[in-house]
Amino acid sequence: MTAQPTTPAPAQPALPSTTTGAEALVDALLRVGAEHIFGLPGGAVLPLYDTLYQRPELRHILVRHEQGAGHAAQGYAAATGRVGVCLATSGPGATNLVTPLADANMDSVPMVAITGNVPSTALGSDAFQEADIRSITMPVTKHSFLVTDPAMIGPTVASAFRLASSGRPGPVLVDVSKDALVASTKRITDGDLAMPGYRPVTEPGQPEIRDAVSLMLSSRRPVLYVGGGTIRAGAHRELMTLAELTGLPVVTTLMARGAFPDSHPQHLGMPGMHGTVAAVGALQKSDLIISLGARFDDRVTGVRESFAPHAKVIHADIDPAEIGKIRTADVALVGDCRPTIAALAAEFRARVEAGTVPDYAEWVAFCQRVQDRYPLSYDAPPAGQVAPQQVIQRIGQLAGPETVFTSGVGQHQMWAAHYLGFERPRTWINSGGLGTMGFAVPAAMGAKIGRPDTTVWAIDGDGCFQMTNQELATCAVEGIPIKVAIINNGALGMVRQWQTLFYNERYSHTGLRGTPTDPAGRAPVQVPDFVMLARSYGCEALRCDDPADIDKTIEAAMAVDDVPVVVDFRVHQDAMVWPMVASGTSNDDIKYARDLAPQFEEDD
Amino acid sequence: MSRHALSVLVENNPGVLARVSVLFARRSFNIDHLVVGPTEDPKVSRMTIVLNVADDQLHKVTNQLDKLIEVIHIEELSDPSAIRDQLWAINDNGPRPVGAMAAAWG
Repeated sequence: MTAQPTTPAPAQPALPSTTTGAEALVDALLRVGAEHIFGLPGGAVLPLYDTLYQRPELRHILVRHEQGAGHAAQGYAAATGRVGVCLATSGPGATNLVTPLADANMDSVPMVAITGNVPSTALGSDAFQEADIRSITMPVTKHSFLVTDPAMIGPTVASAFRLASSGRPGPVLVDVSKDALVASTKRITDGDLAMPGYRPVTEPGQPEIRDAVSLMLSSRRPVLYVGGGTIRAGAHRELMTLAELTGLPVVTTLMARGAFPDSHPQHLGMPGMHGTVAAVGALQKSDLIISLGARFDDRVTGVRESFAPHAKVIHADIDPAEIGKIRTADVALVGDCRPTIAALAAEFRARVEAGTVPDYAEWVAFCQRVQDRYPLSYDAPPAGQVAPQQVIQRIGQLAGPETVFTSGVGQHQMWAAHYLGFERPRTWINSGGLGTMGFAVPAAMGAKIGRPDTTVWAIDGDGCFQMTNQELATCAVEGIPIKVAIINNGALGMVRQWQTLFYNERYSHTGLRGTPTDPAGRAPVQVPDFVMLARSYGCEALRCDDPADIDKTIEAAMAVDDVPVVVDFRVHQDAMVWPMVASGTSNDDIKYARDLAPQFEEDD
Repeated sequence: MSRHALSVLVENNPGVLARVSVLFARRSFNIDHLVVGPTEDPKVSRMTIVLNVADDQLHKVTNQLDKLIEVIHIEELSDPSAIRDQLWAINDNGPRPVGAMAAAWG
C-alpha cells in the first residue's frame, strides 16, 4: 500500500504546441487504444517509421510481405474483437494490402490500414512507387481516405477507427502523403470528422421484434440460421439464451463456427455446400428461417430459387443493405445482433408466459433423427496412409476448446470447420467470403499477438502454406510461437476434388509434386521439404506419415511453446470433403458421400 | 426496366463521384444522365442520377449507395422523364446563367 500523496504531483512539462504529421498519426493511434501494428517500411513512410523508433508503447511487428501484415491484422481483430492495424508504404506496399482489405471487407473484420504515399505535389504524376490506393480500394473497403493536410491526420485516424469498429465492422484505409507526415502542425488531442452520412442503426424496432416473435410462434419448423455477425457482435450468450428458450435447431455458418457450442444437442452443424445433412436438410424443410447476422451467401443457399422453398424469413442484420439482397425478408430486424437477439428472447419469453405455447416438438425430433442417421463421416484411407480428417479431429481433441484455430482455404478448411469441434466464439478464424489461400499463417501470427496466452494452431494446406509461409521468419524473429499443421496431400486438393467429380479425373495443373503423366517422364517430387524449410526459418519441425504416429506428433508439437512449430502431415491424396452440394444444383441434391443421397423421412 | 431519377446529397470531397460511379458499374447499371452541382452548403454537393433499372434492383442499389460514408441523403424523384428532359437541356446548351438554369428546373 502506498501513502496518499500529500503534495500535488509536479506539473508535467508542457508538450510543444506543434507536432509533425507522423507524430500526430502515432498519437492518434495510441489515443484510440492501438497497441500493435503489423507493417513493413518503405520510402513514403520513412518519417512515420522514424517516429515509431522512439515510441515503443506502440509495438511494431516487422512482417516479410505486406499481405502478411494485412492478414495478421485480421487475425488479431478476429481473435480479440479489437481493431487490427497494418502499415505499408506507397505503391506496391499498398497494393499488396488489397487482398487482405478485400478479405476483411467480405468477412466484416474491423481493421485500419495505414499507407504512405508520394508527396502531395507528386500525386498524379506517375512518381516512383505511386499508386492511387484510395481509389483502388474503394470497392473493397468500408471507406478509404487520402490525407494531404497534416492537421487532418489525427481526426482522420480517429474516424477510421470509428468506422472500422462500429456498425457493420470493416476495413478502412488511410493513405497519407509523405509531405503531410513531415510537415508540422498544431498538436490536437481529440476530435474526428463529422461524417454526416454515417448513422448506423444498432437497436431494432420493438414493433418488428413483436412481428418476428409472432412469426416464430405461429411457425412449426423454424431454424436459427446463425452467421458471423453474432461473433462480431459478441452475441453468443444471447444466442444461447434464445436457443434454449425456444428449443429450436441451430445451424452455424462457416463464419459463425464457435458462436454456439458444437457439443450442444440443438446444434446441427454447418449448412451449405459442404454442410452437414442435418443442417442443410433443416433449412430446406423449414417453414421459417431466423437469420441472425448471416447473409444468405451462395455457398449456403446453393441454387437460390430452390433454397428453403417453404420458408418465411426473419432477417436480423446490422447492415440494411443485406436485408432482401438475396432473399426477401418477411420481417427485417436492422440492428446489432446482441440487442436484437436479446430483444427476441425477451419478447418470446413474455409471450410464452402470457400463454402462447409454440409446437416445435415434431420438428425438433425430425431434425434429431436426420442428425443421428447422417452424422459426419469419412472413408477410411488406404492401409498405412494418413486420413486428413483424423489429423484435424485429433488436433482439435488434443488442443482443446480454448485453442484458437486459423485456416487457409480449401479441403483442409472444410475438414477443420467440421472436425476441430468448437465450443467458444473467436476460436475459429478463416477466410470465408473472399476465400483467400495463404490466410492461415499470417492470421495465426496476428491472433497470437492479440492473445499471447492462448495456443494458436494454423491448419493449413500445402498449397496455401506456400503462399505466405515467409511470415514464419517474422514469428521466429519476433517471438510468436504459433503452431502450423500442414495437411500435405501434394495437390491443390479442393480443385482436384472438383476435377475428380466433375472433370473426369483430368488433373489439370493441380499436382504440386508434378503430374503423373509428365511428358518428359519426370517422377513426382515433394518440394520444398517442409521440415527443412521450417527449420531454416528457425522453427521446430516435425513430420508424420504414419497413422500410428498422429497423436504423438501432435503432442510433441504441443510440448514446444517457445518457438513456432511446423508439422508436415503427409496425408492421403484422394480424401474428399463430404457432404457436398455440387455447384449449380439444389441443396435438395446434397450427397453425404459419392453418389449417396440422404433419404429424408417423407421420401422413404 | 423503368427509368428512375435519384437525387443524392453527398459530401463535397474529392473522389466521391468515383465512389458512386464504381458502385453502379459493379452491378452493371448504366447511368443515363448524371449531374453534380453545388448546394447552398459548400460542404455538400447534389448528384442527380438518371438510370434505367428494374424497380427491385433500384432498391438494392440505393441500399448500397446509402452505405457509402459520404452519401448523406438519397431521394427518388417522382417524374424522371421531365427531369431527364431538363438534364438534356442543361447538357446540350452548356453553361447558362443561374436564372436560366433555375427556369429549366421549374
